Amino acid sequence: MSTYQFFTTTWAWNSAVLVISAVALVGYVLAFGRRGRPLYFAGAVVVFLLAFISPFSALANGYLFSAHMVQHILLVLIVPALFLLSLPQSFSLRSSLSYFSHPLIGWVAGVGAMWLWHAPALCNAAATSRTVSAIQTTTLLLMGSVFWWQVLAPREEQRLSPLAGILYLFTACTACSVLGIILTFAPVSICPVYQHPVDRLGMLSTIRGDWGLTSDRDQQIGGLLMWVPMCAIYATAILVQLARWHSSPQPEQSNA
Amino acid sequence: MNGTTTIAQFRDVILDPAKRRHYQLAWLSTVDHKRIAVLYMLTGLVFFVVGGVEALLMRLQLAIPNNHFLAPDTFNQLFTMHGTTMIFLVVMPVVFGFANYVLPLQIGARDMAFPRLNAFGFWCVPLGGILLHFSVLAGGAPAVGWFSYAPLSETPYSSSPGVDYWAVAIFVLGIGSLSFAINTIATVISLRGPGMTMRRLPLFTWMNFINAFIIILALPVLNGALAMILIDRQLHGHFFLPIGGGSPVLWQHIFWAFGHPEVYILALPAFAMVSEIIPVFSRKPIFGYEFVAASSVAIAVLSLGVWGHHMFTVGMGRPLDMFFAISSMLIAIPTGVKVLNWTATMIGGRIRFQVPMLFCVAFLVQFLLAGITGISHAVVPLDWQTKNSYFLVAHFHFVAVGGIVFAVLGGLQYWFPKMSGRMLSERLGKWTFWLMVIGFNMTFLIQHVLGLLGMPRRIYTYPDLPHWGWMNMLSTIGVFFMGASALILVWNLATSFFRGKIAGDNPWEAWTLEWATTSPPPHENFVALPPIRSRRPLWDIANPDRPDPIVGENSAAVTLPNHNKIGILSFIVSEAGFFATLILAYLYFYARPQPGPNARGLDIPRTLVFSVCLFASSFTFWRSEVGLMKQRRGSMLGWLALTILLGGIFLVGQGTEYWKLFQSGVDLSTNMFSTTFFTLTGFHGLHVLMALIALLIFLWMAWEGDLVSSRFGSAFESAGYFWHFVDVVWVFVLLTVYILPLLR
Repeated sequence: MSTYQFFTTTWAWNSAVLVISAVALVGYVLAFGRRGRPLYFAGAVVVFLLAFISPFSALANGYLFSAHMVQHILLVLIVPALFLLSLPQSFSLRSSLSYFSHPLIGWVAGVGAMWLWHAPALCNAAATSRTVSAIQTTTLLLMGSVFWWQVLAPREEQRLSPLAGILYLFTACTACSVLGIILTFAPVSICPVYQHPVDRLGMLSTIRGDWGLTSDRDQQIGGLLMWVPMCAIYATAILVQLARWHSSPQPEQSNA
Repeated sequence: MNGTTTIAQFRDVILDPAKRRHYQLAWLSTVDHKRIAVLYMLTGLVFFVVGGVEALLMRLQLAIPNNHFLAPDTFNQLFTMHGTTMIFLVVMPVVFGFANYVLPLQIGARDMAFPRLNAFGFWCVPLGGILLHFSVLAGGAPAVGWFSYAPLSETPYSSSPGVDYWAVAIFVLGIGSLSFAINTIATVISLRGPGMTMRRLPLFTWMNFINAFIIILALPVLNGALAMILIDRQLHGHFFLPIGGGSPVLWQHIFWAFGHPEVYILALPAFAMVSEIIPVFSRKPIFGYEFVAASSVAIAVLSLGVWGHHMFTVGMGRPLDMFFAISSMLIAIPTGVKVLNWTATMIGGRIRFQVPMLFCVAFLVQFLLAGITGISHAVVPLDWQTKNSYFLVAHFHFVAVGGIVFAVLGGLQYWFPKMSGRMLSERLGKWTFWLMVIGFNMTFLIQHVLGLLGMPRRIYTYPDLPHWGWMNMLSTIGVFFMGASALILVWNLATSFFRGKIAGDNPWEAWTLEWATTSPPPHENFVALPPIRSRRPLWDIANPDRPDPIVGENSAAVTLPNHNKIGILSFIVSEAGFFATLILAYLYFYARPQPGPNARGLDIPRTLVFSVCLFASSFTFWRSEVGLMKQRRGSMLGWLALTILLGGIFLVGQGTEYWKLFQSGVDLSTNMFSTTFFTLTGFHGLHVLMALIALLIFLWMAWEGDLVSSRFGSAFESAGYFWHFVDVVWVFVLLTVYILPLLR
């Protein structure tokens, strides 16, 4: 399959993902109506869809570790962030869930989402079994939401103070960078499935040949993605915290 | 220098032996931040002369083609010493000196948070400097460059002890820098005067505060690398020697993981000075305070992840090149924001072109050029062409001299009146300025061209190729201009100190708190602090009818965090960085196994038993703290003794493990695994030992004295943090060394 063919024919339109997205949209409208910020929610859905129906998904599905990493980052950092931003201010957690709003839990969830699913066995399983992959997706979205709750919760008083937020984000960035560094410099495959992919689409020669993505390079790019662009996301969030700090005349005043 | 120093007083001191002795001791034993600051700067000045003479000698050698003024090895030694001296013994002490003097004053504090630690940090500088230069007597200075690339720096290629002295000296200096950074963080967080909220910090203080974080994150990485190279050289380890499975490229990674942040460790204090001087001399508040402040944070975060651009010529592979190129380019954004803000501050201002401002304007121009050539090095193919040429030499001297030194000279002219009570001569200052600008550009501007013509760097001489001769000659002549400028500066400092115009409290009509006290300030800094409602308290006093808008809430009632706690937590962060470096190095080699003993040969069950002892000691320490809180002396002493006992048992356990390995013929030099294993567990063991000694001291103090004193409680709590930290490190070591092989 050539590159052009690949990017035109591997869109997975008839996926269950579409149904889930539609249900999520309807659910959002029913739950919050106009009180929320539907544009953010739509953004979350679009990114979610892109992660699963675009050719990237086909690549992540057993071909390229780096494509998997893009998916991973979108699911942990982008989709949950947009989702939390879409919530109306009136939204609050049920008291049974308030336990997830402890900063330590949030931090462990955010960092754990990165480390846990890159243990070789789990990474392999997620890349080969649809069930495990579905579980992975769900946990990534949940853990990402728990992580971002500390900085993007709907109401100001539910969030960390800006300076604590910076500490929270910076340490998370460091912890993920360490994993990124390990992935980048590891001479062995962290997720061996991607080393010898099952060539379902007849794409392997294009990927290895035309694109020049050997399995070593592929893993390196995956590690670098976790290290550099991901830290750029955290760094952006840190700057947002600083902006929030400098713009709030009264720390107690809620942000619209 | 307290009170008003006059010539008569000075003569009095010089002539009376008793007073002389008193003053000598007062300076040698001082813990006053102002005196320590002056000592820092004077030490920096001494080494500036040393490093400058080294540069002069090298330029003399390079003045004409095929020169034989210096032998090749001498040249290499000079060039190593010049780089090391200028970075670690000149710029770092001097910018630390400025921060030490000005920062506590700017936040209305009486001193730094830990005055004795401050003195310790300073005395590390002369110690490090002497160690480094002692190498000259002990068989030759290091000749491997300030970056000390392996394997050249390893015993087979550099057998004289120069590199050892270099590594020990830098290690000592690194510890000094860390002490300073920890002190700065604790001072800014815990010792701010009433009304001085974090959002009202002057930019100088803010940037030095951010800089302290870069130091505690980056310096430990260097210390890790130095420990490894010393282990290689002294104990026959294998870290960076390919012959035993080591990796010279790893040295470069670790070194530049420190080395690039180091550039910002040197540059941020310079930015800090410029951010203070430009508004005062433009008679305008800084344009976009928030942007200047936030861009410093962005620089700090980004600086930690861009080191690869120093290694494009190593052959890291295209993916790494690509990502490091992008991340390196990103750093231009926050830096550009700063340049924009400084320039915008000047626009529409009533600019006073006095010497401090002249240096800042020159800084802006030169630093901009440095930044542009800097970006060019982020472009990988261009970097391949210019990296090992004089183009790069020109680039980083534009950063280091045109950027940092110019800002420091401006800062010196600006704050000298505060430190001495007397103004520096404007006339001599302008001579210094113009000679420096002309000399600097003569020396280094032309080196861009030389580099593009293909002249390689790090060479002791060169063939007579077209244009190379006159360009190098021009470059050498420029050095003499800079030397003259430096001499005039020293002359200016000396004469103005005795005969300069009396400065008064606020000669520049500046707005930050250091100008609210006398020049020089009294020992306790302030008699009374003015009210602080904005970022320019002295402006508010001078212009009560149109004060600055109030910034943030008045949080006078807020109690600041305990400085012991902040201090120990900062220390723990730096220690975490050190262990992270060692653990990552362990993993790097774990993934590249060598023949010989490996982690599977370790006795895991026994280690687990001893580990439980260590972990239990965290619990017993907590019980001891509870005992202290409830003022139950017996309980506190008992649990503390048990903690020490458990820690001791752990060490004995480690000791027996080492003993068994030695018995079976495995020591640090056996193979890569044993090198990394003994290094990692050994450093952890050393930390346990250190913490145990601290706990023993506490046990003794608690036994002897009473526990009511609140100072004891907070110090004990700090020791506890460190003890728990040592346990947490062991969790990671245990997982990496003992548990990881089981998962395979």
